[in-house]
Amino acid sequence: MAEKTPLTAQLKKGLVVLFASKTAVVGLVIVLFWLGVALFAPLVTDYGPLEQDWKAPNQGPSWEHPLGTDELGRDLWSRLAYGARIVLVILPVNETFWLPGGTAVIGVLVSLILGAALGLVAGYRGGWTDEIIMRLLDAMMSIPIILLYLIIVTAIGASAVNVVLAIAIVGTPGVARLVRSLTLDIKTRDFVRAAETRGEDMIYILIREILPNAKGPIIIDAMLRVGYAIFAMGTLGFLGLGLPPPSPDWGSMVAKGREFILSGSPWAALWPSLAIASLVVGLNLLADGLREELSRYQ
Amino acid sequence: MLKFILRRFFLLLLTMFLVSIAVFVIVESSPGNIAKNILGAFITPEQEASFLAQMGLDKPLPYRYLTWLLGSDWLAQSKVGMPLKRIRTEEGFDEWWAENEEGNSVRWQLEGEDLVATIIQPDGSILKKNDNQRWQKGEKKGFFFWGIDKQNHAVLWKKGSSKETWTFLISAGWKKSSGGPVEYMPLKKGFLRGDPGVSLRTGRPVGKTIFVRLRNSMVLAAIAFAIVMPLALVLGIFAGLREGSLTDRFLSIFGMAFSVIPEFATGIFLILIMANWLELVPGAAVFGGDYPWERPDMLILPVLTLTLIELGYVLRITRASMVDVMKSAYIRTAYLKGLSTFKVIVKHAVRNALIAPITVIMLHVNWLMGGIVIVEVVFGYPGLGQYLLDSALYKDINAIEAGTMIMVMIAVGTQLLADILYTFLNPRIRYS
Amino acid sequence: MFDFEGCFFQPTCSGETMTINGDKMEKENHILVDDLKKDLDQGRVSRREFIRYAALLGVSATAATQMAGMMVFPNTAVAASVKRGGTIRVAGPVQKVTHPAQFSWITPTNQLRHVAEYLTYTDENNVTHPHLLKNWQASDDLKTWTLNLRRGVMFNNGDEFTADDVIFTFNEWFKKSVGSSMKGMMGGYLDPTGIEKLGKYQVRLNLKNAEIGVPEHLYHYPAMMLNHKTFEGDFIKAPHGTGPYTLEKYVAGERCILKRRKGYWRKGMDGSALPYLDSVEYTDMGTEMAPMIAAVKAGEIDMIDFGDIGGAEAFQALKNDSSVNVYPVATNQTRILRMRVDMKPWSDNRVRKALKLCQHREKILALSYFGQGLLGQDMHVSPKHPEYCPIDTPKYDPAQAKQLLKAAGYPNGLDVNLAVGNGWKEIVRYAEVLKQDAAPAGFRVNIQTMPNSQYWEKWTQVDLGITTWAHRPLGTMVLNLAYVGDAAGKPVAWNESRWVDQEFSNLLTQANGTLDLEKRRKIFCKLESIQQERGSIANAFWINVWSIARKRVQNLVSHPSLYLNFDNIWLKG
Repeated sequence: MAEKTPLTAQLKKGLVVLFASKTAVVGLVIVLFWLGVALFAPLVTDYGPLEQDWKAPNQGPSWEHPLGTDELGRDLWSRLAYGARIVLVILPVNETFWLPGGTAVIGVLVSLILGAALGLVAGYRGGWTDEIIMRLLDAMMSIPIILLYLIIVTAIGASAVNVVLAIAIVGTPGVARLVRSLTLDIKTRDFVRAAETRGEDMIYILIREILPNAKGPIIIDAMLRVGYAIFAMGTLGFLGLGLPPPSPDWGSMVAKGREFILSGSPWAALWPSLAIASLVVGLNLLADGLREELSRYQ
Repeated sequence: MLKFILRRFFLLLLTMFLVSIAVFVIVESSPGNIAKNILGAFITPEQEASFLAQMGLDKPLPYRYLTWLLGSDWLAQSKVGMPLKRIRTEEGFDEWWAENEEGNSVRWQLEGEDLVATIIQPDGSILKKNDNQRWQKGEKKGFFFWGIDKQNHAVLWKKGSSKETWTFLISAGWKKSSGGPVEYMPLKKGFLRGDPGVSLRTGRPVGKTIFVRLRNSMVLAAIAFAIVMPLALVLGIFAGLREGSLTDRFLSIFGMAFSVIPEFATGIFLILIMANWLELVPGAAVFGGDYPWERPDMLILPVLTLTLIELGYVLRITRASMVDVMKSAYIRTAYLKGLSTFKVIVKHAVRNALIAPITVIMLHVNWLMGGIVIVEVVFGYPGLGQYLLDSALYKDINAIEAGTMIMVMIAVGTQLLADILYTFLNPRIRYS
Repeated sequence: MFDFEGCFFQPTCSGETMTINGDKMEKENHILVDDLKKDLDQGRVSRREFIRYAALLGVSATAATQMAGMMVFPNTAVAASVKRGGTIRVAGPVQKVTHPAQFSWITPTNQLRHVAEYLTYTDENNVTHPHLLKNWQASDDLKTWTLNLRRGVMFNNGDEFTADDVIFTFNEWFKKSVGSSMKGMMGGYLDPTGIEKLGKYQVRLNLKNAEIGVPEHLYHYPAMMLNHKTFEGDFIKAPHGTGPYTLEKYVAGERCILKRRKGYWRKGMDGSALPYLDSVEYTDMGTEMAPMIAAVKAGEIDMIDFGDIGGAEAFQALKNDSSVNVYPVATNQTRILRMRVDMKPWSDNRVRKALKLCQHREKILALSYFGQGLLGQDMHVSPKHPEYCPIDTPKYDPAQAKQLLKAAGYPNGLDVNLAVGNGWKEIVRYAEVLKQDAAPAGFRVNIQTMPNSQYWEKWTQVDLGITTWAHRPLGTMVLNLAYVGDAAGKPVAWNESRWVDQEFSNLLTQANGTLDLEKRRKIFCKLESIQQERGSIANAFWINVWSIARKRVQNLVSHPSLYLNFDNIWLKG
């Protein structure tokens, strides 16, 4: 029999697990902080992220600008907040059109979908399908990540959608591997055998029987992946391959602020670096805590 | 065991092959050409076409990939009809020559409508003479000849069939001529025969440059590794042993924090603090003619930047592994058997605890290479990472391919090494 | 016609008029010099402009300075502090190089100009002096130029520099297969058939049109003199030139080392041959400015070559550093926002004017380039050009821009893509400010950044982009390069915006042939307003540049084209 529990019960169980771990709670607080800032950005900031003040570039923290200003006189706190938006909440496809979800989140989501599909099929089918898929994925994983990002983004250009694409492509093999090993384990269980005997087709088995039972590790892995994606966005932005200006992309902010460090204004580079670090720490703590508790549960 | 290694080695080659194709397709099929990049913005369409032809960039994609992999000299040899060889001059320049019927090296240039051969005589002297008897009749009117020019191309020269243009010769002044180069084939031996080609960006053979850059990066990585690994492993074991204590908490948080601050941020702020405010160490790596190991002061900050992030990561993994091992039945049995704590820890726990971190470290190499790129960019360190970044931004295909192949080899190679090590450390695993 | 030894910068000449065979000779200048003198006396030309034009016409700079009523001081005071020896270390790109005539970047010329030299030399005051030439004469109608070579100059491989080398080099410029920008510059007035050898040390140029800028064009950076006996297309393989250094090592992407050479023809202030230094070492540190700045501060590097990379960040970081000297100079370098007039929407002049009105110039200059420069006026003649005619600077007016857009058929605003190379940080800032300030007018600017290398691939194709333009001493030079059509009316190769305007072209041809500076300036008034009114470009600022070097580097002169000269600098301490 398949293990089906009502959604609310599952959620309750998840929250219990979460709150049992102190690490996870700390992580959750940090992530919620940034999520909140991202969602309510217009409410928590005094200025827009694009408003330039040409009389006040590269200022340090002050009453008007609690974190200071960047090289075009834009408020740094506001750019951090709207930068969080781009990472977590909103994907700016172009000036007027946006998708909900945030660049890092959508990127990871796409890699989850692609990777899960590949991993499920490879793990369930086995044989030649498995070999071929895994060899191809291995090949992709052998290219150092940075190189893959570099080659993809320099070839297709730097924009929000392309960054999402790059994150998705880079993340797919890892997800596929994980899902495959989970599938290999789960497909031997009784309820899967039962479904096969019943005559259900492969797609049904994969999606209704195997996947729900793998979701724990996948979700935790996904959280870590969002962290990696944020890191990657920061690095790409630093190398000049991030979202186009004047977008408040944290990595680009560091790259632009870097020039002014040696002239005595480290603020524009400092705050985005700390922002990236703190958000990734939060996600890692959350994932670690959950994982500890889940393994304790089992 | 041997079968296993062989199989993995074969897979490595297959991977490299697939990756090389993928990289080639991605880079070469993206829009834009590099002629304006190299020659400058103010070139005419004819110059652009001529430059692209000379670089072999006007040929279709599969042809270019095949000549990259297998070389073009065998193709050229069949067209020219004479054996071709490559020699290296005293100053280190590569020169391609054909071997004529007498066994002497010969090259040609076109002066007006005259084919002029430069022949190296057996005694080493150089003879220049008109070689117009080599012209062959073309299908329509005019003549053609496939030869080798002085810029290491195989060239198809034609005369008598196209319209006349003015050319200037120092000896004869301005003359009308109808001869000119029509097709180029840059000569190379191909990646499989050890010739990664010439960089489009610098004009130098990629092999020479990459070797130096790789060496420099290896120096950085090796020092970082040598410092970080022992330290992180020791600290991780320490923290794992004292799980839950203040020391453990402190080390865990410290490890976590450093593993998530991006390298570019740590690097920039280290420069600011150490080099600018405190003026302890140089903030940039300028070696001039020195080898990197001759200037250890310039290595300190890049190594530190690399180290901090690795330290955090490895520490966490080791600690987690140590905690797991200490809880395991195996260790409890050892205690019950009456072994002293020290013996338990050192002889049994540590060895088991190290399995996971070491294999993870090996698998982590892939990620580490990204860190090296950033560190090199931040400090201006002349390593493989910066070379690859510059080449990628420039779409310098030969350099990108060569660098990618090296990185893939390192990544897959270390995976293989990790697997072998894992077998030795954990005799319960057997590979079929 | 008469000739003088140009020896203003030669320490062995003092500031007197030349004597030949002991007798003072009658000065017979080019006929235009008298006109110029009249203009000078009546205040229509500045002293600086007088000296410059007189020098172009063949008057020695010394004589010209005296005619301008200024004193000439010999450099005896400085001679005592000259120190020989040492190595200067420079950070800068080491580019791929084969044929000097194909040079398109400045850094290779800064490195290789010390191995091979030019016929003339245009200094930081835009005054052109003879260098490998002893002197030159121009005919009255400015269509025949006689170039007299300096005698006894040897290449570094022992060959003597003669007219054959000059003719060989000139013809290299005109070869189609070489594709030199010299052809673009000189092809309009000179055909290769007009180059005539008069003797072992004398060459005559028979021009098809009158041209006053010939000596200046001979100092254009690809115009190095090559050895006709050994040059076969690759300078690195046969680095034979007349310059003060030899090319010891040239590894593109890494290093370039120049070593002092024996037998250089110029003498230093201490009477012995130049150069003072033992060697020059270039290290390629990549494209990021921060490591180079750090290296200068730490003393690992003596100076940075800004020829191809921006200097504003370095200026900001180093201007207050006590171990470093900063030498500024205002230039005619600028950043041009150009619109392709053969593509919509820029084919409609109302749209072009609308975008131009969206520039808040003081703000752009302040934020892009830290206020270090002069405001631009949407035309490519800078206040520092001699022919500059003062016109008004347009004001920031988004309301009017909005009206213009509406009239052009875009009542709801207009989406445009702006291509910029992200290696030029000041251009990225220019674009960001413009985007913000153009929004009230209804422009929705989408900034497309790309690595510089990709920008160069696309720059003539995109419909809207911002391009860097190097310094050119004469206003006519740029206008002729970029804003005209050929005989068939098609835009010339460098005309990135494809703008060809009949009235503008006619006036420009007239200006080319007008040798009187005042009359030329009047024509420029019209040219400038045409370009401002209906041209294809906008520019918000002209930039200052700097030479920045550690204090031990002495006698460094900042050149507006960012040319570096290691001939006569020395190191202290």
